[in-house]
Amino acid sequence: MTAYFIRRFLLIIPTFLGITILVFTVTRMVPGGPIERMLTEAQMASGDQVSFQSNNQGIAGSTLSESQLNQLKEYYGFDKPVLESYGIWLKNILLLDLGYSTRYGEPVWESIKQRLPISIYYGFMTMLLTYVVCIPLGILKAIKHKTPIDNISSILVFIGYAIPGYVAGIIVITIFAFYLEWFPLSGFTSNNFDELTFFGKIGDIIHHSVLPLIAYMSGGFAVMTFLMKNSLMDNLAADYVRTAMAKGLEFKTAVVKHAFRNSIIPIATNFGENITIFLAGSFLIEKIFNIDGFGLLGYESLVERDYPVVMGILVIGSLLSLIGNILSDITVALVDPRVRFGG
Amino acid sequence: MASQDVLLKVENLTTSFKTDEDQITVLDDISFNLLHGESLGIVGESGCGKSVTALSIMRLLPKPAGQVEKGFITYKGDDILTLTTKQMHTIRGKKIAMIFQEPMTALNPVHRIGKQLGEIYQIHFPDMSEEDSRTAQIDILNKVGIPAPEKRLREYPHQLSGGMRQRVMIAMALSCKPDILIADEPTTALDVTTQNQILNLMRELQREIKMSIIFITHDLGVIAEMCDRVLVMYAGKIVEQASVNELFASPRHPYTKGLLDSIPRLDTPSKSRLEVIEGLVPNLKNIPKGCRFRTRCDFEIEQCGVTDPVVEAISEDSSRTVACIRWKELSK
Ligand SMILES: Nc1ncnc2c1ncn2[C@@H]1O[C@H](COP(=O)(O)OP(=O)(O)OP(=O)(O)O)[C@@H](O)[C@H]1O
Ligand SMILES: [Mg+2]
Repeated sequence: MTAYFIRRFLLIIPTFLGITILVFTVTRMVPGGPIERMLTEAQMASGDQVSFQSNNQGIAGSTLSESQLNQLKEYYGFDKPVLESYGIWLKNILLLDLGYSTRYGEPVWESIKQRLPISIYYGFMTMLLTYVVCIPLGILKAIKHKTPIDNISSILVFIGYAIPGYVAGIIVITIFAFYLEWFPLSGFTSNNFDELTFFGKIGDIIHHSVLPLIAYMSGGFAVMTFLMKNSLMDNLAADYVRTAMAKGLEFKTAVVKHAFRNSIIPIATNFGENITIFLAGSFLIEKIFNIDGFGLLGYESLVERDYPVVMGILVIGSLLSLIGNILSDITVALVDPRVRFGG
Repeated sequence: MASQDVLLKVENLTTSFKTDEDQITVLDDISFNLLHGESLGIVGESGCGKSVTALSIMRLLPKPAGQVEKGFITYKGDDILTLTTKQMHTIRGKKIAMIFQEPMTALNPVHRIGKQLGEIYQIHFPDMSEEDSRTAQIDILNKVGIPAPEKRLREYPHQLSGGMRQRVMIAMALSCKPDILIADEPTTALDVTTQNQILNLMRELQREIKMSIIFITHDLGVIAEMCDRVLVMYAGKIVEQASVNELFASPRHPYTKGLLDSIPRLDTPSKSRLEVIEGLVPNLKNIPKGCRFRTRCDFEIEQCGVTDPVVEAISEDSSRTVACIRWKELSK
């Protein structure tokens, strides 16, 4: 098994290279890179609107001189062939240098670091709440299959599933924040946050995050609940549960001791993916609730052609999800003794 | 065997399954006795209700679809069907144990053998110490012929062969020395050699523990080897009941005759076609009026479709029964 995991870890390297080369090349080929953006901005600033139509004209009629332009190209590595500048980029990554944001001029790591706490908070809470709510609910629905509790909760869960997270966000914000005013409209903390006591601060954060969390959870909620329900139902009907009952075990004990452990195997299969909660976030939901998280950062960087940030997020994201896959394998091996990875 | 030795008495048992559309009666008014220390076979084609009979006795019918509609199952003076769930827990596994058809799926894949075996002692002898339980587990595994039991206790079911798993199932069933063992096709899923080993083992253990066995199979050859008496079931009814010797020597019901003719025999020339009963088991959703077997019976007369054949006692101690209106003339 150790050999298996060592191999899996080694496989991260080519996969990682593949993903980053691909995206790196794409960023080079898509028109409208950071230099063009800067030119446009420079033109806008100088009020020169004539040469706005096309790139060529833009460069020709730009307020930047040829040498300035070359300087910029060199700065971004656009003067070299793709593979060569990829090599330079990769070398910097290995030295833990993600480069500088073209938009803010600050190190990419700074932009990312700023969003980390809020994204981790929402990612972790969404994960925690999803497990804490969906697993018991799935169990209840399996045991009470086809009773009113099961049917009514199914309807609610399906409604939640049918509505995209950001729409759910808009709905809850309209009802609970705008009309009822139970929760704040947006933000992560109140203005007087610094004056609050420790528990006051916690309460304030929770108060602000209830609505976004509802929006975040609305999608994965149904999947997880039904995964749990169906998986447990399958196992309740399994032969070994009947064997356990035939031994004289009470139904409840048979469920807890026998069926449950087996039914969490499918859930363990993607447990490791939770590691990507660091980068969790949907930019639409973040936009609605004015949360300054990763979703928004990624989206804006793409739109603004802030490629160093895009690549930075990609590096962290792909590494985390590759490790997440391995974590999933480990989790499955932990809950299912039949799983043994050949060396 | 005298009738006062009855250990388990099944009377007029009727069990049905509710499906989404309708309700089908799977066991229709069956009655039989299980005597002390005997080994009673239940034989019949697939789907005739053998497993449902066993599960009705264990009260382990799949809920909520399966339901006993009427009847009594009397064990030591109590009607099992009216016991509380709590009382039932003290009977299952301790007084009446069961082995299932599929050794591959009957054990929990995520628990070690030792845990699954130890659980029985935990349930029925809560005061037993860890150590005593372990000794008992090793003892019983030895008894069912599992080599290196200490090692097996630490293993998971998937590390054992089918035969070994079935031995573990037998060990689990016998660990409380039950009065009754219900074995539902315990060897069907195994190869012939393993099958023989398991059958021998069960016979030995029965002699030693002096329990009664209900042995379910669709293989009359196994019945001949294992049982004292047989019930022949057809489409939810018991069509014939007899001692094994009587049944093989003089089958009374045309269905039993058909079954006996379909056993492959060493003395028949290999070229000759095996007799099989023509036709299909009737769909339990719309059972034909009258005798259920008549559509496949060579001896059908008009009268067969008019009334249900009654279960007739045809021996003095009424241990032999047959349900066919023509049995007398046919046995001439
Ligand atoms: N869970 C269930 N839901 C609906 N019908 C069922 C269910 N289990 C069994 N039945 C019905 O009950 C009838 C008897 O089934 P049973 O399992 O007792 O047959 P069997 O004699 O044990 O057959 P086999 O030799 O294949 O094990 C079948 O016709 C089947 O249609
Ligand atoms: Mg069966």
